[in-house]
Amino acid sequence: MKARTAPLFRLLRRRRGRAGAFVLLLTVASVLAWPRPTSELVPLGEQQTVETAQPRLCVHTLLENEVEEAKIKRSLQLTRELGASTIVQFFPWAYAEPQRGAYSWFHADRIIRHARRQGIGVIARLGLVPEWARANSSGAPTTLNHLPEASFDAFARYAGAFAERYRDAIEALIIWNEPNLSFEWGYRPVDPAAYTRLLRASYRSVKAANPDTLVLAGALAPTLEPAGSAAGMNEIDYLSAMYQAGASDYFDGLAIHSYGFREPPEADPAPGRLNFRRAELLRQVMVNYGDGAKPAFVTEFGWNDHPRWAGAVRPSQRSAYTIQSFDLAEANWAWMEKLCIWALRYPADLLSYPDNFTLISADFSKKPIYYALQDYARGWKRSENPWLPPPRAG
Amino acid sequence: MAAAAARWLTRPKPPGLALAFIVAVAFIFTALLFRRERAPDPGRAFPLGEIVVGVDASFPPFALDDGGIIRGLDIDLASAIAAELNMPVRFSNIGFYALHDALISGAVDLLISALRVDPARMDELRYTASYFDNGLVIARAADATQADIGSLTKARIAYEYASRADAEIRVWEESGRSIQRLPYELPEYALDALRLGLADAAIVDATTLRLYQSDHGDWTARYEYVTQDLYAIAIRIDRVDAAKLVGGALDALKEKGELARIIDKWL
Repeated sequence: MKARTAPLFRLLRRRRGRAGAFVLLLTVASVLAWPRPTSELVPLGEQQTVETAQPRLCVHTLLENEVEEAKIKRSLQLTRELGASTIVQFFPWAYAEPQRGAYSWFHADRIIRHARRQGIGVIARLGLVPEWARANSSGAPTTLNHLPEASFDAFARYAGAFAERYRDAIEALIIWNEPNLSFEWGYRPVDPAAYTRLLRASYRSVKAANPDTLVLAGALAPTLEPAGSAAGMNEIDYLSAMYQAGASDYFDGLAIHSYGFREPPEADPAPGRLNFRRAELLRQVMVNYGDGAKPAFVTEFGWNDHPRWAGAVRPSQRSAYTIQSFDLAEANWAWMEKLCIWALRYPADLLSYPDNFTLISADFSKKPIYYALQDYARGWKRSENPWLPPPRAG
Repeated sequence: MAAAAARWLTRPKPPGLALAFIVAVAFIFTALLFRRERAPDPGRAFPLGEIVVGVDASFPPFALDDGGIIRGLDIDLASAIAAELNMPVRFSNIGFYALHDALISGAVDLLISALRVDPARMDELRYTASYFDNGLVIARAADATQADIGSLTKARIAYEYASRADAEIRVWEESGRSIQRLPYELPEYALDALRLGLADAAIVDATTLRLYQSDHGDWTARYEYVTQDLYAIAIRIDRVDAAKLVGGALDALKEKGELARIIDKWL
């Protein structure tokens, strides 16, 4: 054995230098040739435009957790085919700046790139705090929505950087989400004055980066929580408190969440009721504080049609109410720029009632409401009722 | 130390000691071989001395907050499981979005809340066997002659407009099945159409069919499932004893017919 292997060792020793160089070269070549995720992995396709008879039609997408680029593209294709010219899309700060000052735009770029190619405008919602910006003096654990005041400027820098990078692609930026809920404010007591300071810092940063970017405030949750509640504060009082804290100078439009719950779209608004026209109460607060010239955007609304959930309506009602809400806005809400339906699709079905807010299942199968909205956006005349009358004996 | 042990092992020993050593090893080996699995102990499985059940009481008839009292099929099922284990039960009414966090954090022991088995959660949860299937069913008159609805040409199928059944029928049509659609505003109207002979079949969810049949005691349909929606009890994956006890109790309730009685009471 030794006699036979010895020449081989000698050969290897003699040629070690050349063999090593060869192996190194082969490794480098393999690494260079290995397919890597690039922007070309999923072709963008030809430039598209959205054809629609309903320019207010907008959907809230949830592409931030979509891993596969093909699914991002498919979601946006279906948005265009629906006739929606705008999406609201969440761009988590924690994903974009996992280390302080080191931005990673890879995922946001993918979404923006495909949205632009489909001819869809983007209203970007910003939030979700990276760990480095969440630390508090007590060292207690914090949630992803916990933004200490010391990090307001860091968040504002992210908003400015976002506005600059996507200056030609985004229609507006929403600063935070539902800050009138304790859960969305890091499980702390809600604080309209503190939110106004966050808004001010963000507004200045965004306008410095791109004066043309619209800054939307609020995106307040519709809730009846009274003052002093641990869960939050009703959005009417919260918006008034924002104005009292000087918010008016720091936003260009108001983002509104206006779910219909179990009432039809035409149901009268009232402070003690949750329904679609509750948006008018927020509008009245704007007018009261001299902000009547600013537009509003319903960035979340819709009805749920789960057969068992107590907060749901029937599928026929959901479909009709959704369409009627566009008619109502067209006739009465000149101040309303967009109506964005929650939601186009979830990346994975939740297997409970929240799935019945979507227009498309996780497997991309279109729900009947998608077809109804698509017909509406095409301006096709609908029959009065697309269902048969109740059956009668005989 | 090792050297000392080696010396002791290699040193000649009295025959009695060697025999005792062999007997001890054989005893341990036999005990390991024939050991019985430890029966889960309810006291250890539920250290608070009660079973805390998380439920979203916004799902009638499975669970609904009725003026501060939570009632429903899931509530009765949880109570029956607790009785089977001879433990008291307490309910915690939690919205759907916080249910799983409550289970993972240990705020509740179980979730019994019309929860569908979610394969994506199986790295942190374990599910019992299903206690109810709320999938879509295709219902036909009890005296219908054709065994298979697919054998009917242009079968008249009633369903609720824009519902899951509507979506399912679209899939059937896309696969080439010949169907005459009968959309109704409500699923009960679809079943009315079947009952009155205006439709060959109706597609509704299993709960709707059962509720309709209880409201129309003189009418029965035969049905088969078209899709599955398996409801099961969820337990945190590391609560092995709790899972065994609850799973065993559920099996016992099934065997005794108690689960069927609970389902019949509510559906």
